[in-house]
Amino acid sequence: MSIEVVGVSKRFGDFLALDDVSLNVRDGSLTALLGPSGSGKSTLLRVIAGLELPDSGTVHIRGADTTHVPAQRRGVGFVFQHYAAFKHMTVRDNVGFGLSIRKRPRAEIRERVDQLLELVHLSGFAHRYPAQLSGGQRQRMALARALAVEPAVLLLDEPFGALDANVRKELREWLRDLHERVHVTTVFVTHDQEEAMEVAEQIVVMNEARVAQVAPPRELYEHPGSEFVMRFVGPVAEMGNELVRPHDIEILPLPDWGAEEAMVRRVNHLGFEVRVELETTDGRRVAVQVTRARAVELELEAGQIVWLRPDHRGALRANRSAA
Amino acid sequence: MFVLLPLAAVIARSAQGGASAFWDAVTTPQAVSALELTVGVSLATVAINLVFGTVIAWVLVRDEFPGKGIVKGLIDLPFALPTIVAGLTLLALYGPKGPFGFSVAFTRVGIVLALLFVTLPFVVRAVQPVLLELDREMEEAAASLGAGRRTVFRRIILPNLMPAMLAGVGLAFARCMGEFGAVVLISGNLPFKTEVASVFIFGQIESDNVTAAAAVSVVLLAVSLLLLMGVAAAARWRARHEG
Amino acid sequence: MRASRRLRAVALAYLALLLVLPVGMVFYRTFEHGVAAAWAAVTTPDAIHAFWLTLLMVAVAVPANTVFGIGCALVLVRQRFPGKALLNSLVDVPFAVSPVVVGLALVLLYGRAGWFGTWLADHGIQVIFAPLGMILATIFISLPFVVREVVPVLREVGSEQEEAASTLGASPWQAFWRVTLPSIRWGVAYGVILTTARALGEFGAVSVVSGKLAGQTETLPIHVEQAFQNFDLAGAYSASVVLAALALLTVLSMNLIKREEVTR
Repeated sequence: MSIEVVGVSKRFGDFLALDDVSLNVRDGSLTALLGPSGSGKSTLLRVIAGLELPDSGTVHIRGADTTHVPAQRRGVGFVFQHYAAFKHMTVRDNVGFGLSIRKRPRAEIRERVDQLLELVHLSGFAHRYPAQLSGGQRQRMALARALAVEPAVLLLDEPFGALDANVRKELREWLRDLHERVHVTTVFVTHDQEEAMEVAEQIVVMNEARVAQVAPPRELYEHPGSEFVMRFVGPVAEMGNELVRPHDIEILPLPDWGAEEAMVRRVNHLGFEVRVELETTDGRRVAVQVTRARAVELELEAGQIVWLRPDHRGALRANRSAA
Repeated sequence: MFVLLPLAAVIARSAQGGASAFWDAVTTPQAVSALELTVGVSLATVAINLVFGTVIAWVLVRDEFPGKGIVKGLIDLPFALPTIVAGLTLLALYGPKGPFGFSVAFTRVGIVLALLFVTLPFVVRAVQPVLLELDREMEEAAASLGAGRRTVFRRIILPNLMPAMLAGVGLAFARCMGEFGAVVLISGNLPFKTEVASVFIFGQIESDNVTAAAAVSVVLLAVSLLLLMGVAAAARWRARHEG
Repeated sequence: MRASRRLRAVALAYLALLLVLPVGMVFYRTFEHGVAAAWAAVTTPDAIHAFWLTLLMVAVAVPANTVFGIGCALVLVRQRFPGKALLNSLVDVPFAVSPVVVGLALVLLYGRAGWFGTWLADHGIQVIFAPLGMILATIFISLPFVVREVVPVLREVGSEQEEAASTLGASPWQAFWRVTLPSIRWGVAYGVILTTARALGEFGAVSVVSGKLAGQTETLPIHVEQAFQNFDLAGAYSASVVLAALALLTVLSMNLIKREEVTR
């Protein structure tokens, strides 16, 4: 195991940020810490990095107990949401900072920085200052800076949170790509389930200071362990006392066994998929997702009466108290 | 410690003879008149400062003219210029040997002038940044709703500037109450006429009447600390209410 | 348009009458009888001694307050502890207190009859009526400047850069020298300039503790006052011009730093 967190709790004043959290991260894996704001995910990352001291519990990195080792000696690479670029240094000096702290020979630093700048596509920018870079470029520089010291683990705190949607998308793919090439154990924090699904091999869902579920993206989506996870990782429709994914509901033109009557309120054509908003006879609103072909076949339009049949394989029994 | 200990010494000294001795020291006719004069000239100064400081800040932010950069820099001059020099420069121009044929030396007008000089930057520097950040769209919105220039100023701009103006005034007042260097030459220090509190204290120290000096000092201390706390509390209140 | 021009005229006239003309007048009076006369007036032994003593005040007070100021700002911004609000307002006290009161306070502490007076006398240390007391007064008076300039900058810079440095292997000391200090350098520089200006010009507090002994405990501002009181107008004006020139230099460097900050 690359990172082992056991029974970590952390309190800020009255606020409980981490409540007896345990977590294992495999060597060389790419893991997402996913959760709503205030769920403790950033705090957990900072505890792993040594930027916060846990009130109780232990942190091991590559088998060594690092619970009380200060950040400077943990050998972690940390990337901040707002880049934390050293504004008074050039890109080259930023990336070379960790190596110069370690008093490496200049020639070696130079060579290593050149390699890294190439890796993050910033070769032509070595002499610029952070203020002269775009947000995406700054974040790539911050990544190169973290990688320069060959960290045992790479930790990223909402790395794309401050970027535009387009740049964000591009950087996600790029991070995956980079991970395949560098293969350093990587943990990143995000509140965006799509980002977690797209980038990570393993997702740790956090809620209210605890770990709610740990699973690969597909399993998480298809077999959520709780109502919270089900609702958090994708859209949900309520059918009777079950929670179902909107695409797991079949729309039938005629009554059938196990199907419930509903009226179409609105049909939204979103290119490939069609989102249908319906109202059941007892007044509940349900959103269903169907393919374009299916919508055409059913000739769906507002006011139409149809029957809905959920696919129980992907359904979860609603449990109000656990929400 | 470095700050507290000396002040503690002053307070202790003033309390040495008990409450009645303290009261006697503070209520001698000369002390009372010095304190009254100090408050009076400080109020006058602050009032003039409020008007002109705001006007200057306005001109520096909203107006464009050649040499504006130099004027902006000049505003800080009173902070940088030694106070004794400030007093001397005013005497050179408005003193008995000045070119205008009138003299404000040894008058209360002279004291106000000296205080105006040293406290000039307070209101300007407090109002300027607020004015700079003031959303012009707010004024445009008011104008589009039919407000005239005066109404816009009175109902939109002034309320937004008010906290900064008051903060500047508070600091300026505290400074006026304690100012010594700028006043000492121009005032002539005539007891009952042009002797302000700080000069009175100085005189009492010189004539070895340390207890009286300490007692009046405590009054000054209390006034300026209260003011400073008021300004800080107002700033906190504003920060909380305007995010 | 007309209204704004009138406002501009009012503002400029006020500044001219209050600031520019009086200061100009002192320059005029100084050089009225030629540069040689002015030079002679500022190079009397007492004036030269006052000049060096003033520089000594600055040379001690400014570094002391810079180190204290940065340290205090770091504590105020980065640490949480009970009594922080108290420390925060204590730092401002020297702004609020009359210089004369500061002088009196030091006399009461370190003077012959003061709290530490006997102990100091026993050890042969003279504070009051000696440069040591004047240095203490100067430090006290100019205490808040660096703190007040550095605190907002430090707050704006945030602690992320320091954290980044520590995850890259920098010790707190290295992070301070290589990351924190460079990023607050303009704030520090600004504070240092203000401190210098105040230390150069302090009159009230220093004159209480100095005893005003010409050629011994006279700083340049005290020299100005003494010369004026002794009807040596040439000496007072020319020493004032030296101080005013230093003040102008201060204002100039303040503006240069502001510009530097903006272009960053």
